[in-house]
Amino acid sequence: MGIFSKFRKKSPWILHYNTGGCNGCDIEILAALAPKYDIERFGALNKGNPKQADILLVTGPVTKNCKDVLRRLYLEMPEPKVVVAMGACAHGGGIFRNFYHVENGVDNVIPVDVWIPGCAPRVEALIDGIVEAIEIWQQKSKEKEYMRNHEENYERLGVKDDN
Amino acid sequence: MINWIIFAFLAPILGGLIYGIERVVKARMQGRMGPPVMQPFYDFAKLMDKRPLMIHSLHALMGIMYFVAEWFSLFVLFLGHDVLIAVFFHVLAVLALVIGASSVRSPYSVLGALRELMHMISYEPFMVLMVVGFYLVSGSFSINDILQSEPLIYKLPLVFMAFLFIIPMMLQKSPFDVAEAHQEIIGGPEIEYSGPFYEAVYTGKWIEYIYVFFFMFLFGGRNYILGVILVIFAFFFVNLLDNATARLDFRKMVKFSWIFLIPLAALNIILLALWR
Repeated sequence: MGIFSKFRKKSPWILHYNTGGCNGCDIEILAALAPKYDIERFGALNKGNPKQADILLVTGPVTKNCKDVLRRLYLEMPEPKVVVAMGACAHGGGIFRNFYHVENGVDNVIPVDVWIPGCAPRVEALIDGIVEAIEIWQQKSKEKEYMRNHEENYERLGVKDDN
Repeated sequence: MINWIIFAFLAPILGGLIYGIERVVKARMQGRMGPPVMQPFYDFAKLMDKRPLMIHSLHALMGIMYFVAEWFSLFVLFLGHDVLIAVFFHVLAVLALVIGASSVRSPYSVLGALRELMHMISYEPFMVLMVVGFYLVSGSFSINDILQSEPLIYKLPLVFMAFLFIIPMMLQKSPFDVAEAHQEIIGGPEIEYSGPFYEAVYTGKWIEYIYVFFFMFLFGGRNYILGVILVIFAFFFVNLLDNATARLDFRKMVKFSWIFLIPLAALNIILLALWR
């Protein structure tokens, strides 16, 4: 823990990605940003940019078309980062489980740190999940995470050099 | 003199405070609580702690150049030198951002760079005209002389009004935040910056706040209290405008600037030159 890491918990920037869900969870996320719950009080911003985000908030079952995009977003985020899966669909497919076009949950594509159950989860549950994610995020250190088994992790995520 | 040097060194801190206050004011205008005032510094500390992901070295360098050139233009202002030189250094700073953004392959970044050039086309001629107006009133381009002269707003009311609408273009606020556009081209020129390099761009923006509001302060001239009142008025006006309006097309921005604001400023300066 350096001097700068102490302030890490005070500005979680969220990247929100919907992998083909029904938009129920997204409305709850927007409600969290709106005046009643206002998670900007805690410094959270909804950044649309993976390179500047810290928390990847995924909703919806992972459809096959979204799989590569999700993996890419995860890899483009710089290193102290947390993944939060929100809603029943993100857990194991939900009502879309075992459909022909679905990967059955976020866990099959990228590692997940925090799960938020419910369909759709209430905003309170979302805020609880974010708080837990911030705690996990604070314990992570950037060096350990990206130096250890770097090549193996990339191999496991199935990323080829596509340049 | 030594006060101004200290002031110039502390400019990023002051700019961060202004940015924090602005976020609170904006949130209160929307009926929200808003983040703490120190929030920009927390963001700064967090961004310093992220892993540096570099696209290529020129791109990262240009992000840092943006910060350095902005700060340099502020130094020129605060140490009492030519206003015109400060304006040109500001051009250099924005150009660094444009070069950095157009040197990567991301289409959003390149589009953002082109739109940033549109911003420059809209506000830079006005800035030079405004400095000419300062010269006509105070008889000198130097800041020290401008701060000794009578309040400039009495002689340049139209320029002042036009500058109120130029501020949203310079700070990328809502009616004219064409380059930043964080819903469509997510952040525009700064999309590919991350971690410590994004922090340089982020801090450069704080300095831009100080730069713009210092020009607003100059309108007060000898009367410093009037200058402070003008700055506070401009701050609230710009935030209200930011909250109340939606984004415009970049063509509308350029048209508004070239058909309305620049002739308005030119008219003021012509009348001033005739009746001097």
